[in-house]
Amino acid sequence: MKFWWIQPLARATVAFALPLLVPALITAMIWALPGNPAEIICPPSICTGGEELAARWNLDKGPFEFYTHWVSSAVQLDFGDSWRVLTGKPVIELMLLTIPNTLLLIGLALIPITLGSTLGAFQQPSKRWDPLLVFLNVLPVVVLALLAAAVVEINFAGAEDEGLGYWMRMIAAALTLGIADGALSGAILGNRSMFEQENQQRYVGISVLRGEGNFANTLPNLAGALVGQYRSRIVHLLSGAVIVEVIVRVDGFGALLWRGTLMQDFGVVLAAATVFATLSSGLLLFQAIVEVAQNLHQRRAPKIDLDEVQV
Amino acid sequence: MNRRHVYILMAVFCFVILLVLAWNAPDLPSTIDRSQRSLKPWEHWPLGTDMNGRPLIEYATQGARVIAVPSFVAGALVALFGMIGGLIRCVQAPKLQAVLQFGGEIIGALPRMVVVLVVALLLPMDWRTLMPLAVVWAVLCAPGAIDEAGAVAARLGGTRFVEALKAHGFGAWRIYIHHIVVLNLRPVLVRQGAEAMMTVAFLEVALSYLAVVEDQSSFTHSDNLRSWADLLKEGYLWLALGIDSAHVLFVGLGLLGLVVMTATALTKAAEAR
Repeated sequence: MKFWWIQPLARATVAFALPLLVPALITAMIWALPGNPAEIICPPSICTGGEELAARWNLDKGPFEFYTHWVSSAVQLDFGDSWRVLTGKPVIELMLLTIPNTLLLIGLALIPITLGSTLGAFQQPSKRWDPLLVFLNVLPVVVLALLAAAVVEINFAGAEDEGLGYWMRMIAAALTLGIADGALSGAILGNRSMFEQENQQRYVGISVLRGEGNFANTLPNLAGALVGQYRSRIVHLLSGAVIVEVIVRVDGFGALLWRGTLMQDFGVVLAAATVFATLSSGLLLFQAIVEVAQNLHQRRAPKIDLDEVQV
Repeated sequence: MNRRHVYILMAVFCFVILLVLAWNAPDLPSTIDRSQRSLKPWEHWPLGTDMNGRPLIEYATQGARVIAVPSFVAGALVALFGMIGGLIRCVQAPKLQAVLQFGGEIIGALPRMVVVLVVALLLPMDWRTLMPLAVVWAVLCAPGAIDEAGAVAARLGGTRFVEALKAHGFGAWRIYIHHIVVLNLRPVLVRQGAEAMMTVAFLEVALSYLAVVEDQSSFTHSDNLRSWADLLKEGYLWLALGIDSAHVLFVGLGLLGLVVMTATALTKAAEAR
């Protein structure tokens, strides 16, 4: 307990390092591939002018130069141009088109997860429902996404970009994302067991004897763990968004990453992976801040000197 | 025979079916025969045919060949990582634990699918099989397994538990492998391994499905092999367009169910008494 700050510090350090580490690793791997990186964009067998392209994409001066230039541009929101998805188009433009859809999708998907987490915190639903939750736990995202896509195609085919069709597509995709791969059942079961264990602590019993409620006492102590669970669920949703967006045909950031991967567009993949890592870093940093606040709160609250207590 | 034995038998039975399917996979799919199209299982034993008249059993066997070994390797790796994480909690190695925590934070913060796609993109064409992706997936699952196994070891008493057993005269192998791993970490390790095995199978189907809908080669297998995703794609036509391919969808779902049953039975068989 004396070194409580180590864990939040580790998280904060990782949060700051991750957005730099991810492009560094990808850059290193691009140069580790057999052949010249410029040949990936412009294979010598089918195109000429590879040297000019290499100079244009800053690939001619080695990996370190490429990395430092890319990162310094990315800080100013210039993620370079797409190599193949839409050749020459700035990646930031593609991102601005797709990121709002993905954020909306994740936001909607968090609704069932948040409801599930809240139910779990209040020890609901009862354990009679566990078989259903276990069944939901093993539903793969690809199967549920197919079902969602079929429902949307049958009822709203052709209406993709606006109106009711767009919203039904988003809701179907969000429900898929919020239920599949154990997202919902994990939220319910995880929170239920966490609060169940905490409710067995002696301080909760004492607070009940004092006429206070369980929840108000356990919540401050579980804040860090709850934020950690929520963070991992959002990272999980970001992961699943790639599959759901392609199958349900949502024009989102995950679908852009998939297209970039299929077409070997390192420009798009590098930018997308870095943005995903930055989002994840933001969540990690938030968790670290909550953990610090929780620990400061715990150290401020006791009315007795903990050092005097003999355990 | 108690319930544990039933689960063990069930897990072995399901996994053997998977291996037998993989073992019997043809190297190349059959040629198209439209006269045999969309036959039901009772019309063309054992699983019927697709819209091109190809037997669905070929999809089942080739898909099993794609996933069987990589998913097992991923499961075994995750269990191994978890075991190492649990054992490290039981020895006095604070620096190693700090390194593990930093590594775990970094790996755990990465969206798994993004990492898998980046790795898939960077893999040379000759290496395009499920195995490298399964290994990467196992590494991405490792922090969770290490954390959970570490928590179990910590609840056990960690180094104090080891000291106590040493005082009773037990040897290192007996303490670490029998008492800690087999008797205490087993449920966690098997569950984490089984989950990784199942998710690698799902990952293969998802990646192959995404490639199939875009008419591209899959990252997980060569073009001469068919994945279970092909079954889902054809079955989807029944869902969305009412084309007569419901049996194809049910075969695909049944095969995924086989993987789920294997993983669930393994987990149940290893549960603490």
